[in-house]
Amino acid sequence: MLVRSCAFARLHARSQWVRYNSSYPIHRFAELASRPSSRHQIYQSLSTDPYVNLSIEHFLLENAPADSSILFLYINRPCVVIGRNQNPWLETDLRALHNDRRPGNKNILEDEAAVFVRRRSGGGAVFHDEGNLNYSVISPRTSFTRDKHAEMVVRALHRVGAVNTSVNVRHDIVMTPGEELQKDPNEPPTRKVSGSAFKLTRHRALHHGTCLLDSPNIYDLGRFLRSPARGLIQARGVDSVRSPVGNVSRDVADSFFSIQAVMDNVIEEFARLYGVHSDALLRARRARALEPEIFAGDDWVSGTVGEAHEEQEPQIRKGVDELRSLEWKYTQTPQFTFSTYPIEDDPRERPPLPSSLPPSTRAFLRLKHGAVIESNISLSSDETIASEQATRVHQILNGQKLHEITFERWVEILQQGLAGTDGATESVVQELSRYLGDMLGGH
Amino acid sequence: MSSVARSIRPFASRVLAQKPLASTCRAAPAFRFPRGTRSFSQSPLSQLKKYTESHEWIELADGGNTAKIGITEYAAHSLGDVVFVELPEADLEVGAGEPVGAVESVKSASDVLSPVAGKVIRGNEILEDNAKTINASPEGEGWIAEIEVADVAALEALLDEAAYKETIDA
Repeated sequence: MLVRSCAFARLHARSQWVRYNSSYPIHRFAELASRPSSRHQIYQSLSTDPYVNLSIEHFLLENAPADSSILFLYINRPCVVIGRNQNPWLETDLRALHNDRRPGNKNILEDEAAVFVRRRSGGGAVFHDEGNLNYSVISPRTSFTRDKHAEMVVRALHRVGAVNTSVNVRHDIVMTPGEELQKDPNEPPTRKVSGSAFKLTRHRALHHGTCLLDSPNIYDLGRFLRSPARGLIQARGVDSVRSPVGNVSRDVADSFFSIQAVMDNVIEEFARLYGVHSDALLRARRARALEPEIFAGDDWVSGTVGEAHEEQEPQIRKGVDELRSLEWKYTQTPQFTFSTYPIEDDPRERPPLPSSLPPSTRAFLRLKHGAVIESNISLSSDETIASEQATRVHQILNGQKLHEITFERWVEILQQGLAGTDGATESVVQELSRYLGDMLGGH
Repeated sequence: MSSVARSIRPFASRVLAQKPLASTCRAAPAFRFPRGTRSFSQSPLSQLKKYTESHEWIELADGGNTAKIGITEYAAHSLGDVVFVELPEADLEVGAGEPVGAVESVKSASDVLSPVAGKVIRGNEILEDNAKTINASPEGEGWIAEIEVADVAALEALLDEAAYKETIDA
């Protein structure tokens, strides 16, 4: 405990006892992580909150010294994480996720449903749960390559027995099925077990990846990533590339496999790759505590982090607030159109409308920063009346943020805009509201 | 971002200080003006183009105080195929070293930092429909933002072409 009052002097003295007494109070985390000499850092998170984990990671990206290399491992509660420039209405089924758009619905802990998160890095949409390990490596940009850390994880997976894993051209880790499974004609040639995304700053490169080790949702995680409106939405920004997925555990003999064993091996491979001091490795591998604990040596820091750091470090708290904000989650969306009929920007053939709606029903929206900038919603088969209906609805709809339009709000808007016009009975307005709400997260 | 903002000037000045006037030719007269003087904007230095260590370029319009900002050939090449560009909104006030846009390529998001403080006039709409213009012409058609520069003299602290080339060869 002495070390707390004169930590740096003692550490620099390299006295023997320091090796075993390098524990620091957890409020020193931010300071130690930013310390110019902290060249190697290894952390595991005790939090399963994706907002907290992504914000600790972002803090490390922004604050750790420019020449440092950092490994951060975390596991999130069930959530869908989309890339920075993606569209939640297109990439996810908002109906299957926690509805944060309804006022007063903010506390995710009271809801069992998976949460929707937009991360700061690029790439596509992924599903996380307690059987998925997230690894994150932050390193100098100059020595970074996109495959470097995926290869590091593959070496760790080989060590736990998953010898048929490798990195593909998309910088993802895939698994080739065993001989028995290859006989199954329905089995794809490879299954993706890990996807990567990157964030590059002035001096630093962040590479984070998922790794499906033993997800209980493996057979139906696709349902979170399948939008009911995918045939109707045309979006700028970044598309996800769909791949068949698999659990690493499927191909590994049970007795060898645990998430902890994978974590230990990833830590070891990281230490080998960057020449990390053996004390840092020892501390990192021992970090099993339920409470956060931080250890440090001359040029290293390792330990466990968690929600306590969100409370203590204003920059981490600010990061969490940003990621949780509906502005970031929804209005960051690149421009897109939603249309129930073919349009110039999106001439695809459309699925039929629900039979409860008049066949002449048309609904078109163009959105910028998640707000309506153009629309055409009408019911009448008479062109003149339809155009009047559309104009009236647009007057109300223009500038409205889509994520703020609940089912009840659709009813209000459409009643105001359509009331008393051709075909606009109360039940049709209700039906159209229900349809639009269902398609566009207004349930 | 603020930590980046704080580090940008010292670094740029350091680089310039290490390689004094000998290696500079066109930009050299800028050093005769002390920082922040008014006379700079009336100097003969039209078409001034400068670079940052984070691979942005900024080019001052003819005799004015507006400038275009983009990413360098080197950056565009090393990022690979650009799939999306986040453009700034008009009237956004940016400080030196603060994001004035972002580029996504091969699953990587990279901020584009404004080399100097200023106010955004417009983003380059060509990139909305065709992000790949950045790869085809990063220092021409593929500019990202046009800004009104708060203090034109601030450009003198940035890298000239020769100094920038040094940073990427290093």
